[in-house]
Amino acid sequence: MAENAVIFKGTKDGLYIILKEEMDLDTIKANLDKKIKPSKRFFEGAKIMNFKGKKLTQEEFDDLKEVIEQEYGMTVVGSFNEKSFEAKAESFEIKKPDMLEQLPFENVHKGEALLIRATLRSGQLIQYKGDVVIVGDVNPGAHIKAGGSVIIMGTMRGIVHAGANGDYGAFIVAYKMQPTQLRIGDIITRSPDGLGSKYNNPEIAMVKQGMVVVEPYLRNK
Amino acid sequence: MGEVIVVTSGKGGVGKTTTTANIGTGLALRGKSVVLVDADIGLRNLDVVMGLENRIVYDLVDVVDGVCRMRQALIKDKRYPNLYLLPAAQTKDKNSVNPEQMQKLAAELAEEFEYVIFDCPAGIEQGFKNAIAGANRAIVVTTPEVSAVRDADRIIGLLEANGLRNPMLIINRIKMDMVKRGDMMNIDDMIDILAIDLIGVVPDDDFIVVSTNRGEPAISVEQSLAGQAYRNIVRRIMGEDVPFMNLESDDGFFNRVAKLFGLSKKR
Repeated sequence: MAENAVIFKGTKDGLYIILKEEMDLDTIKANLDKKIKPSKRFFEGAKIMNFKGKKLTQEEFDDLKEVIEQEYGMTVVGSFNEKSFEAKAESFEIKKPDMLEQLPFENVHKGEALLIRATLRSGQLIQYKGDVVIVGDVNPGAHIKAGGSVIIMGTMRGIVHAGANGDYGAFIVAYKMQPTQLRIGDIITRSPDGLGSKYNNPEIAMVKQGMVVVEPYLRNK
Repeated sequence: MGEVIVVTSGKGGVGKTTTTANIGTGLALRGKSVVLVDADIGLRNLDVVMGLENRIVYDLVDVVDGVCRMRQALIKDKRYPNLYLLPAAQTKDKNSVNPEQMQKLAAELAEEFEYVIFDCPAGIEQGFKNAIAGANRAIVVTTPEVSAVRDADRIIGLLEANGLRNPMLIINRIKMDMVKRGDMMNIDDMIDILAIDLIGVVPDDDFIVVSTNRGEPAISVEQSLAGQAYRNIVRRIMGEDVPFMNLESDDGFFNRVAKLFGLSKKR
């Protein structure tokens, strides 16, 4: 827990030390020591713009400043300023080189998508191993077979097969979902019989509990 | 160089031949020199609809095979001196010609006539490929039925793949009272799927049966509603802005159709 009590963050303004909120000053000092001592030479002469994160009192600020300047040979450029502690510590993770691609979402999928800007007409077949994006409608009689997910920026009236290579995590999105048939992996589904209500908002089809489920993907609609 | 138009549909029986006969006659009535070419080899009926079936000596395949000259095969219409017909062969089939031969034929005809109109057979195979080979414009005919629209969509895709962009749509045999009741597809839905410019809406008209049997295209008859619709289509082909006919007494739908008028702007 005490591991990340102190984090160094480089910004375009300069170097900041971020202090974890709930840590007391002694833990912080101990942590600083742990981080800086082994590479003291490296830190010598470095300029610290200011502290962020934990709210410091004037005393604490002066104390830390003294430690940093005397013990480690760095200079604290900034001064005690209440406002600079508004930032939350968590948002200042140092980006280590191998963490550069860590985005704050789940379900991030990276690949090469096929981008088609046209309306697919009856009888036209698209087969692709990755994701497919159609900027246009998919007319009845058209067939899309994708290894990945399929995004249709238009009305979907044809047959779409996502996750054709067995990926049940693939999904299908359309502005208006009026499919002839939807397939994900090897699960096939069609619209309920009878002219159902024409739902005019964008929907997403995905596999839930072994079935293909269609629902709005924007929560408020 | 004249315009080479192909009238196609995908689905059979939606009114390609009737449309070809009426548009051709209509253009001739407006003083243009027109030749109609029946590309439905083996199942010819443009000659019947035009009333010229007993004047056929040579046909399309004879011309392509070099058995006769083009002039010998062309039949002058019995009513209009500037309208000609190049009939199909009845005893051969669609493999008797290939697209290259049709291209050459179309080019030759375009030098002589202001409008060359090909009546395309149903389907998407050799007959279709032959008929579209020489064309630079396409008219897609469909009826307000899901099956016909599905086929028309396929055809439009094939036309675009063969370089015939921006085909024009004719919706044929529409029954306004059924559309009002919701029993028949309405025009908006069809255009939503097909997404091409609408050039005309022709109402279902019993008189078409009569005119086909007589060999006199309905366009020349004043009382026929379908004929009136075809007259308007001809004017639009020639570049005029013509408002769509009010095919029913109820204002509601007419206003919507009038809104589609914006789609009828000629390119």
